[in-house]
Amino acid sequence: MDVFLQVLANGVMLGGLFAIVSVGLTLIFGIVKVVNFAHGEFLMVGMYLTYLAVTGLGLHPFAALILVVPVLFLLGALTQRFLIQPLLAAGDHHIQIFATVGLSTVLINLALLLFGADIANTPPSGLRQPLQIGPVRVLLGQVVILGAAIVLVAGLQTFLARTRTGRAIRAVAQNRAAAELMGIDVNRIYALTFGIGAACVGVAAVLIAPLYPTSPNSGTYFVLIAFVVVVLGGLGSIRGAFVGAILIGLIDSVTGFYVGADMREVAVFGVFLAILILKPSGLFGRQLRLSHVSP
Amino acid sequence: MRVLARALAAALTLGAAVQTTARAADVKFGALFPFSGQLALLGEESARGVEIAVDEINAAGGVQGQKVVLARGDAVDNNQAIGEARRLISLEKVVAIFGSYSSARSIAASQVAELSGIPYFELGAVAEEVTGRGLQYLYRTNPTAEDMAKLAVEMIVKKVAAGLGKKPEDLKIGIIYEDSSYGTSVAGFQKKFAAQAKLNVVTAQGYPASTVDMSSLVLDLKGRGIDVLLQTSYQNDSVLFLQQANEAGFKPGAIIGGGGGYSMQPTADAVGHKVIEGVLDTDFTQYLVNTQYTPGIENFVAAYQKKYGSAPRSGHSLNNYVGAKLILQAIGNAKGFEPDTIVKVAQGIDVKDGVTAVGYGFKFGKNNQNERAAMMGMQWQGGKLVTVYPDSAAVAPMEMRK
Repeated sequence: MDVFLQVLANGVMLGGLFAIVSVGLTLIFGIVKVVNFAHGEFLMVGMYLTYLAVTGLGLHPFAALILVVPVLFLLGALTQRFLIQPLLAAGDHHIQIFATVGLSTVLINLALLLFGADIANTPPSGLRQPLQIGPVRVLLGQVVILGAAIVLVAGLQTFLARTRTGRAIRAVAQNRAAAELMGIDVNRIYALTFGIGAACVGVAAVLIAPLYPTSPNSGTYFVLIAFVVVVLGGLGSIRGAFVGAILIGLIDSVTGFYVGADMREVAVFGVFLAILILKPSGLFGRQLRLSHVSP
Repeated sequence: MRVLARALAAALTLGAAVQTTARAADVKFGALFPFSGQLALLGEESARGVEIAVDEINAAGGVQGQKVVLARGDAVDNNQAIGEARRLISLEKVVAIFGSYSSARSIAASQVAELSGIPYFELGAVAEEVTGRGLQYLYRTNPTAEDMAKLAVEMIVKKVAAGLGKKPEDLKIGIIYEDSSYGTSVAGFQKKFAAQAKLNVVTAQGYPASTVDMSSLVLDLKGRGIDVLLQTSYQNDSVLFLQQANEAGFKPGAIIGGGGGYSMQPTADAVGHKVIEGVLDTDFTQYLVNTQYTPGIENFVAAYQKKYGSAPRSGHSLNNYVGAKLILQAIGNAKGFEPDTIVKVAQGIDVKDGVTAVGYGFKFGKNNQNERAAMMGMQWQGGKLVTVYPDSAAVAPMEMRK
């Protein structure tokens, strides 16, 4: 029984990790409707910035948030403004995809140039402290990640539901043309949303860096699962992304222990496919709409 | 018609001119490695070994009185490897090619060389398939994935079991590996040699090298009561596993890594020297080794330091250096640079163990593989990777943690 509880705990912690990485993506994917293949690389950039802040400036990772989050916000907003926006006019969505893939390649190779291929290690700064909760053992940093994911999800939900800007963002997601007619500056909203999404990734990066080795390819390890989580939860549904992440974390952990390490991905993607076949819009999603202009 | 005649004349003149410049007292060899892209770090490191070998050969008078010149080819991916091999052979007119660190690059490029009848000397790639395709002009000097697995099992039977106070057959062995060709091939041979040695392999599990979590695997291994764990992995997964194993309280009697991340200092620094203390490793000859078994290694390190301004980053440069130097010296004793001449002197190479800077000897046998090539056993002690096996090469005794 103890072992089973530990397996579940591992799954929930893993889910928290996936959740915090995916929250930013669901915002970008769901609202700006852009498949940002550079999402993983945003995470990688954030992790390297955290590494530099902690080793170079001697900051505690939490203090590094002050530095990393605004930088990532800027990165996201600028990407939207100067990479995606000029391409939105093109009728074909594939062009934006290629642009983000290009950005991803550039960022990876830039990191290779600057940091080399060896792993960079952010000092754990106490976040690897084990916590014994009954029969179950987890790391402090993992609990922080889960907590942060919950706070981020709740915060974003509130922001989108209660604030004027949040409503503007939802309006643009529902119907861009109508939003424009209502006087909303759509381009500004897109840039803002992309920025917020990237900023969420920045939070994830700061919390992940003390627990995982950083290398130019680190982003690629997380990005595929992030997309799975986002689509599983339902495009644009932040709550859905969180639930999807926990679900996938549990599937991964349970399969890994009771079946075998080689079957984990089979199980995760198998469940993913099954849910999509039964409910194509994802767990919490409404009708899938990729058109920018009208329903 | 006149245009054609003029063009032909121009081409012939150019051709003659090119021939004349190449006929200075130089002999060209190709150096085909991944110098850019994903494999650049160790591709460049490997090539440095070849460059130092060439420097030393030239300082001693060159090969057959001619200066050796290296023409670099960048095998950034498999297609490029093929293209660069063609360029080195047809345009640069190399008499032989040294390469390539990556098994995939080597397999691709050596096929081109074989078709042109140009000798290809593989100095560092470990996959079994590199040799064994029936190629006449491909020779490999370095130890392979099979040698790595053989050594790991040998260490278990001869040292680790006794150190743990158990008979080898009573040990519970676990094998985990990253699921690309590197991990899969080493693990496959580990299973084979373990079975031959009648060891009890309780589980063998692959996982993707890009994994972000190994906690379920760790829990499984812990539950099975694994005594000796064999892992073949890159940096990322080595760090993840060692950290998560330590935190989950999974402390097997011995962990034996199969090169890759386990041989690299950044892994030890990331995991923590206390956590990695006592972890064993099988890989190419490294630098903290009994120099009586590896004469010349200190000179190599000094030469490397002088030429590149830092210590060698891995054992790859050393292995490439020894292989390249021996080949060049053998060719130096021949007459002419015809492919069959080169191949013949290569086949005549017969060097015993304990003579070269890598320790192992050289004699090409079945499939033109160096039969005397062997890996070494190392252990992390005090944050440093020291050689502990075989005894003749060891600088420190193997310490078994209780």
